[in-house]
Amino acid sequence: MTFPPAAAAGQTRATEQLDTPFSPSLVEELLRLIAKTARAHQLYLPNNPIYRGAIDSLRAGFGAIWNEADEITLVIAEGEFLWCDVPVWRDAVGTSKTPDSLPWLFYKDGVRELTLAKGFEEQEALTFLEMIQRARKATADEDDLVTMLWEADFTFLKYAYVDLLHDGSAGALADGGEVTAVAADEVKAAAREPVEQPRTAGIVDMADFDATLYFLDDREIEYLQSEIVREYQQDLRVNISAVLLDIFESQAKPEVREEVLDDLETLMVYLLSAGHFRGVARLLREASQSAARASDMTADQRERLSHLPDRLSSPEVLSQLIQSLDASATPPTREELEDLFDQLRPSALATVFQWLGKLQDDGVRTVLTGAAERLASTNTTELIRLIHSADRDVSGEAVRRAGSAKAQAAVAALGRVLSDPEPARRLLAAQALTEIGSAGALQALERALEDADRDVRIHVARTVMAREHRPALARLDAVVKGKAVRAADRTEKMVFFEAYGTMCGDGGVAHLDALLNGRSLLRYREDSEMRACAAIALGRIGTDKAIAALRKAAVEKDVIVRNAVARALRGDARGSDVAGAAAE
Amino acid sequence: MTTPGAANPTGRGTAAAEVPIDTSSESAVRRAGRQLIFSAFGALRAVKLYPLENAAVEKALVELTNQSREMLASQGELEIRLSGEFIFINQTRLRLALDNFGSFSHLLSVFRTNGVGSVTVGVGVTSKQWLVLLSLLQSPGVDDPALRLTQLAAKLADAGVTAFTLAPPTDHGSDDREQAKERAKRTYTESVSATRELIESIRMGGSPNIKKIKRVVQGIVDQILNEETSLIGLTTIRDYDEYTFTHSVNVCIFSVALGKRLGLSKLQLYDLGMAALFHDIGKSRVPQSILTKTTGLTNDEWPLIAAHPWLGVLALFQVRGAQELPYRAMIVAHEHHMKRDLTGYPRPIRARQLSVFSKIVAIADAFDAATTRRSYQTVPFTPAEVMSELRDNPARGMDPVIVKAFINLTGVYPVGTLVVLDTFELGVVHAANPLQEMLSRPIVRIISDAQGNLQHPGTLVDLADRNADGVFARTIIKTDNPDRYGIRIGDYFV
Repeated sequence: MTFPPAAAAGQTRATEQLDTPFSPSLVEELLRLIAKTARAHQLYLPNNPIYRGAIDSLRAGFGAIWNEADEITLVIAEGEFLWCDVPVWRDAVGTSKTPDSLPWLFYKDGVRELTLAKGFEEQEALTFLEMIQRARKATADEDDLVTMLWEADFTFLKYAYVDLLHDGSAGALADGGEVTAVAADEVKAAAREPVEQPRTAGIVDMADFDATLYFLDDREIEYLQSEIVREYQQDLRVNISAVLLDIFESQAKPEVREEVLDDLETLMVYLLSAGHFRGVARLLREASQSAARASDMTADQRERLSHLPDRLSSPEVLSQLIQSLDASATPPTREELEDLFDQLRPSALATVFQWLGKLQDDGVRTVLTGAAERLASTNTTELIRLIHSADRDVSGEAVRRAGSAKAQAAVAALGRVLSDPEPARRLLAAQALTEIGSAGALQALERALEDADRDVRIHVARTVMAREHRPALARLDAVVKGKAVRAADRTEKMVFFEAYGTMCGDGGVAHLDALLNGRSLLRYREDSEMRACAAIALGRIGTDKAIAALRKAAVEKDVIVRNAVARALRGDARGSDVAGAAAE
Repeated sequence: MTTPGAANPTGRGTAAAEVPIDTSSESAVRRAGRQLIFSAFGALRAVKLYPLENAAVEKALVELTNQSREMLASQGELEIRLSGEFIFINQTRLRLALDNFGSFSHLLSVFRTNGVGSVTVGVGVTSKQWLVLLSLLQSPGVDDPALRLTQLAAKLADAGVTAFTLAPPTDHGSDDREQAKERAKRTYTESVSATRELIESIRMGGSPNIKKIKRVVQGIVDQILNEETSLIGLTTIRDYDEYTFTHSVNVCIFSVALGKRLGLSKLQLYDLGMAALFHDIGKSRVPQSILTKTTGLTNDEWPLIAAHPWLGVLALFQVRGAQELPYRAMIVAHEHHMKRDLTGYPRPIRARQLSVFSKIVAIADAFDAATTRRSYQTVPFTPAEVMSELRDNPARGMDPVIVKAFINLTGVYPVGTLVVLDTFELGVVHAANPLQEMLSRPIVRIISDAQGNLQHPGTLVDLADRNADGVFARTIIKTDNPDRYGIRIGDYFV
């Protein structure tokens, strides 16, 4: 913690006794605000109200100074700032020579004087605060404040420093050599030598006298300007990755190739950390080309080069990447992400699946889903492996992707998931098999008509109905004629009867007629729900025999049954709707 | 305590009563000043190209007059002053940039030709008065700038133009020149020392830190921006024993100076300087015995030398202390021996366009290498010979526009060239003539009189100077090899 000297001592400074153009308290306050804002800069994001408030206060502090002068010069000592030889900031005990000490931060790097001028408070103050933060965190290897100040190229801040990097041991250049005479005759002889070979003997060419030959014309200036623009528009990292791969291909020495491979990996990390995803994609694409093209490659080298894309797909790297993408305030464009994810390898699938359900950013999720689909559809072996993953998130996502990819090869694996103790997973597998929709998939689904979970049963019944999967009729028949269905809820009952009606034909009419119209001594044998379901199933059958059975119930008093029958006769709605409407 | 040119604190704050209104701030002056220079340049061209009654002339003059009046109203004064390569408006230095260097350099040239160091514009300046001044500045007259200035002032008075006060260039005196020279020497020695440290560290397999290198390049950029003559002069030392290090520093100096001439910003010059200083870093991985071999290289040895561009890329992956990898330096290291048609070495496999920085460094590199005595080149070429070769031999593969700009920088006779004058004096080219049309008449240090007596340090003469008959007092008749006379050119620059 640091503080202005007067405040620390609890004194009121007698301004009039000091030889300063205005009260030092203004400068003290300004330094206090700089320190406070530097802390805010470190702790808060730019849109944070506390940070914005600190910046506003700092600007007000500068405003108070600019009411008195155009600029102020601060002399920096080890633990204090001086203005007009008056200490305006002194470190508190215990903070001296630590990064917390503002004067020390500058002093240790050799900065001895700072002059701030009006206008500094606008944009340059923010750069300055950023610089303070960078300097506080800087390691011995990183830039010092003198370099940072130079690079910042401030307009409203000037500084003086002692160069601590150069210790004066560079030595001096020797002064002029020994003075001797040259032979005057030699000079005269030289002057008289014929001017024969203007281009080879350093003789003056008449063209040399036409200085206008060396003026740049507008076209040349334009060319140079465009070259400089191009220089600063080029993608340096992509350029370097091309250079490295050129070296790799053209230099066959193993130690060179090993070093290039190391450098490529380093570059990839830099590209990733800089968020330069298109660059990573390009690097990986080019690396594949090199792997295919370079001659005299050892198996090891080829493997390492091919391994580059695998690095990106490895769980640690990819997790880091997805996490940072999801948290990024300025996510990359969809095209950049697609470029990058196009380079993922099958080994990335598990990590991708792991993250798909957790992503917050819709854009990232959309692109990652696309990548997952692409990878899943082209790498079914990996997909099948992941269906059995112990990680539930991964396995679940793999099941989903198997469905959306209509991966016929995954049917057996999905069929096994139908035996999973967890109903949600069985349902997921059933849905995936439905999406695949092949005969094999439907066959695998059939047995789930008897699943312990209602939702699974309903889903499968709807599937077999929609696909009119007749091999399932026997199971449906057993359900419809069994006792268990009576205990099911209305929706399940309805789905099963509807499915049955869709496939049973006249063969089922007798049983359904009995359910709808069968009476005991005083009343119908079945309750309203069962009778309504039978009516719907008969409507689905739709044959004369079925219609005849329905007509028998046309004058039914029970409103649920009557409505179901009426609609079944009209054939104007799905059974489940009819049942729902009837129940209302 | 060192106080480099770029870091020059300016004393204490002023009292409230003296504070001018906000528009006097440096940035406001810079903006308005820049606009004023554009307007002055436009008016100069219009006056030169069109009849005076042409609407374009009138429009340009009105614009210039309005600009001047606005500045006078907001600043209370308007002075346009030349100092070295810079233009100052009311004590504020205008920034040279790519989009303004053409107008800046034209105005500098016109002022210099007329011996004008500063023009103070008075309140009440009119378009007509500007017209008179601009016409006179571009009218033919005597060649002696000092005399021209006197005549110019008299003609203005005759025409009743009172709004302008002209003054000759300020001579900062020999003390300032000596200080500049000392600063240049310090920058140069520190640069060589830091470069030696870096290259030797890489040679030993270390991972050197580039903090010091950054600092020395910043020093070189500052020096070139403020007073380039002294530093360019030091490139003539060409120390045989320290060749690897001095060559890197020299190439950095030439590149930054050329970049400045091309209008690069300060930070772009920094990028260029860093790349230039590292251009031969790959040689730190080439066996010393090959680098210092005095005889021709064998078929087995040549590939080792030719590998240094791509070895440079790998070596630059080793350095520490940069926030990012030094990509631009890697590209320049890799490309600096490639020709425009991508022949040269190494031959790229993937399609590429040479970086303009690589083209600049290639020229600086070729110039410094060919003019230096090295293990396998005991008799170096003269700077003028090298310049002709770069200019006239397309097989060198240099970019002709940048070669042209390089000659524009160095003059037809580059700094350090030994010249034989028609007076039988020997001279060493000290600096290119600041007057663009006098590129073949550099500033020369006379180092030997007509009798052959060597002089040290010798006297500086401007070969554009004429005698009373209007004839050039001295003219170069040929360039020569300093070894012929046992002269060490570098001695005249330290």
